[in-house]
Amino acid sequence: MGTVLVFGETEAGELSTGFWEQVSTGRQLCEQTGWTMDVVVVGCDTGPGERAACRSGATRILVVDDSRLDDPWPEATTEVLADVCDELSPDAIVMPRSLLGAEVSARLAFRLGIGMAMDVMSMERDDDGLVVTRPVFGGAATASIRLSGRPWIIVPRKGAFAAAEPVAAPSAKAVPFASGLDSRTLKTTPLAHQRLTDTGKDLEKARVIVAGGRGMGGAEPFHLLHAIADRLDGAVAASRPPCDTGWVEPMLQVGLTGKTVAPDLYMAVGISGATQHMMGCSSSRVIVAINNDPDAPIFRMASYGVVGDWREVLAGFLEALSDGQAKEIT
Amino acid sequence: MRIVVLIKQVPDPLLPVSELTVSPDGGKILGPENVPPVVNGYDEQAMEAALRIKEFRDGECEIIALSAGDNFVLDVLQRSLVEADDLVLIEDESLDTSDPHHLARVLGAAIQHLGDVELVLGGRQASDWDHGQVPLALAEHLDWPCLTLARAVRVDDTRVEVERVLSDGYQMMKCGLPAVVTVTSELGELRYPTMQMRLQARRRRPVQVSLEDLQVGTDIDPEWRTLGVSMLEKTRDCRFIGPDDGTEAGRQLAAVLLEEGAIVSIQPGGGV
Ligand SMILES: Cc1cc2nc3c(=O)[nH]c(=O)nc-3n(C[C@H](O)[C@H](O)[C@H](O)COP(=O)(O)OP(=O)(O)OC[C@H]3O[C@@H](n4cnc5c(N)ncnc54)[C@H](O)[C@@H]3O)c2cc1C
Ligand SMILES: Nc1ncnc2c1ncn2[C@@H]1O[C@H](COP(=O)(O)O)[C@@H](O)[C@H]1O
Repeated sequence: MGTVLVFGETEAGELSTGFWEQVSTGRQLCEQTGWTMDVVVVGCDTGPGERAACRSGATRILVVDDSRLDDPWPEATTEVLADVCDELSPDAIVMPRSLLGAEVSARLAFRLGIGMAMDVMSMERDDDGLVVTRPVFGGAATASIRLSGRPWIIVPRKGAFAAAEPVAAPSAKAVPFASGLDSRTLKTTPLAHQRLTDTGKDLEKARVIVAGGRGMGGAEPFHLLHAIADRLDGAVAASRPPCDTGWVEPMLQVGLTGKTVAPDLYMAVGISGATQHMMGCSSSRVIVAINNDPDAPIFRMASYGVVGDWREVLAGFLEALSDGQAKEIT
Repeated sequence: MRIVVLIKQVPDPLLPVSELTVSPDGGKILGPENVPPVVNGYDEQAMEAALRIKEFRDGECEIIALSAGDNFVLDVLQRSLVEADDLVLIEDESLDTSDPHHLARVLGAAIQHLGDVELVLGGRQASDWDHGQVPLALAEHLDWPCLTLARAVRVDDTRVEVERVLSDGYQMMKCGLPAVVTVTSELGELRYPTMQMRLQARRRRPVQVSLEDLQVGTDIDPEWRTLGVSMLEKTRDCRFIGPDDGTEAGRQLAAVLLEEGAIVSIQPGGGV
């Protein structure tokens, strides 16, 4: 019988945020094929991750707990996963949509001589394999791709598969897996890893996001966005130009190559609405665009729009938030 | 030191969706005929990284731009000769530029054909298919180390060190040469070419290399296949908040969002 392997990436021992969406993808594959699901938890001090993975409903749960994997090390993780694949011979592998996950998938796909599909939005089994859809051209188009050689490597798009519910009782015991990882044969070496505190991590959880773009004109105006975000118990994000020019840290970037978010409210200030940016925020419930160009594409994707200079609009907005005037107007 | 910079010709990624069309065979996205394609943005940053290395080595460095594809627009690709010492083109109608593995084998053969290449710089992803796979596959193919997502690249004669941008900070990584490195947009500003660079570029011509020269087949992976592409334009009905006075519009926006339930609390201090 076939198996689906879900790769459980960990951060500080905990499964990464997308894990339950991967499980959901894995379960859907199992439904379509009649296969069973395995999980491999990889990282350092993986105790919490293992315990959570036991609730995934997987038949087998393997663990690679190795201090060398504390920091992301794509080459080493590829070796570990290649070993696991040798052992389990999965028919499909569901990878996390993280920087590490994407890179390991690409390496593994070439090694195994198979295709991989990144940012999968839907999957359908047919006689020749699995037909998946994924965004291309920065989200301007969708491609459908048939994966036929096995294992199929699938990286689900964030938000495309609703997070699975953990099962009530552990479905299997976590078993250590001895990978033959030998640092001496690896060609790359990780050095220092500088973790920042304002990493935008809370972005993925925030209910309100206030995002600034090139139209903010510099680093200083982002203070205003922070002031508004604080008021609304939200977080600050950015389009790519503010990250590239160093106005904010790159970790705040939303979009195709940044984070994918879906808050209740996404306020885009001085952002034109390029498809690559909208890839990261188009699932937000309410999108507000503040832009002084009435023809900016963002207005086609926004629920509410204000055509104007952000300096004025945000001043009025913050004022209303601060003095309660908004209440009176309603 | 010989550095190869991988450059891919792509439709302009900033074209609005409404101006893109699907090719007659349903397999490609095309830009309008009157709008020229561009060199993939991250590849221009890879070129900038190469120039910084060249500068650091006081010019002791040869930069070769390398591209594989079909329907090349020479004008566009030749612009890389302003920065690069040479431009090598592999143009073949049979080349499937949506197949990262095939591209990796073709580019790998070209790199071996060139010889003595110590560093390959590429972009983190190409804006047509958004794969982010070719440099990684290339490194696997050549059995070279690969470091990704670099916002800074430093080399000496035997190794390369990069500063990677991760989702929670930065990470330094190193490996020996030869190596493949991918570059991300956080690398920063591109330089403005000097007059001297432009003048020198005029004297250079691209070198054409054929798939036969490289002895790579045109066989395409049967293991996966693009079945087709379709345009996807999501739109919402935007409700404009009217007043010309920006401050007033801002106030009304707050009111509307409160009514909508998008803002839960407007009390100073925030929170629910
Ligand atoms: C492969 C690839 C991946 C990419 N990944 C991402 C990604 O992950 N995230 C991302 O964001 N981008 C990404 N991009 C870049 C993307 O294509 C756009 O270039 C970028 O999103 C534009 O950012 P922006 O809207 O802030 O800037 P611009 O497009 O320059 O827009 C600035 C806007 O500000 C407005 N403005 C100016 N002044 C004011 C003012 N005073 N008041 C109000 N409005 C004002 C202008 O009218 C304009 O609409 C990617 C591109 C490629 C090719
Ligand atoms: N056809 C090609 N010719 C030269 N370089 C390429 C080609 N395709 C991809 N690359 C390089 O590989 C990077 C990643 O591309 P991709 O894997 O297609 O997203 C690009 O930014 C280029 O540097």
